[in-house]
Amino acid sequence: MTMVTVRYFAAAAEAAGVEEEFLDLPGDATVGMLRDELAARYGADMQRVLASGSFLVDGTVQRDPATPLGGAVDILPPFAGG
Amino acid sequence: MIEPYAVVSDQPLDEVAVRRAVESDASGAVVMFCGVVRDHDGGRGVRSLDYRAHPDAERFLADCVRRIAEETGFAVAAAHRVGDLAIGDVALFAAAGAGHRAQAFDACERLVELIKQEVPIWKRQHFDDGVSEWVGL
Repeated sequence: MTMVTVRYFAAAAEAAGVEEEFLDLPGDATVGMLRDELAARYGADMQRVLASGSFLVDGTVQRDPATPLGGAVDILPPFAGG
Repeated sequence: MIEPYAVVSDQPLDEVAVRRAVESDASGAVVMFCGVVRDHDGGRGVRSLDYRAHPDAERFLADCVRRIAEETGFAVAAAHRVGDLAIGDVALFAAAGAGHRAQAFDACERLVELIKQEVPIWKRQHFDDGVSEWVGL
């Protein structure tokens, strides 16, 4: 198991009720595994964010569930700038 | 290569600085886009917008500016405001300078589209009936 720092932003922070937490995940954890874990943990509001959102891993926005997580990941709701 | 003008700020944006960043002696056309907070959305009245940005948003904005400059060969620049904005406040300035207007309009349009796709910024819309919701969810 490895400790992963997860940061939540905007609608994701509201769905989680926190802006940051530390999760114990398998050492080979992927974006898809984290997505399933967060959906189970936080329910419908988080599922809605994850359905159209993305993940920031090592400074790069990822949507592929096979992407390895590393030690830190940011949960990004769909962008709405402009 | 020149550093792109790309700013994310919780203060009112510097319109003149955005424009200056794309001006040159070769520019016969400068197009400025202003994204303004409006008082309605989807048929409902809007009272205000609350913009939030990821701490790295400015880096993503700079990537957009750099990419459109490279793809088009024209000077582009952008500034995005975050925080609580009122009706009429400018949330986004995007600018493009080119030899001719069609090129400048095109580069500016492409820049705005890319910013909306790529920059981790979110907005919460406060309707005039007291309800509020995140846009795009």
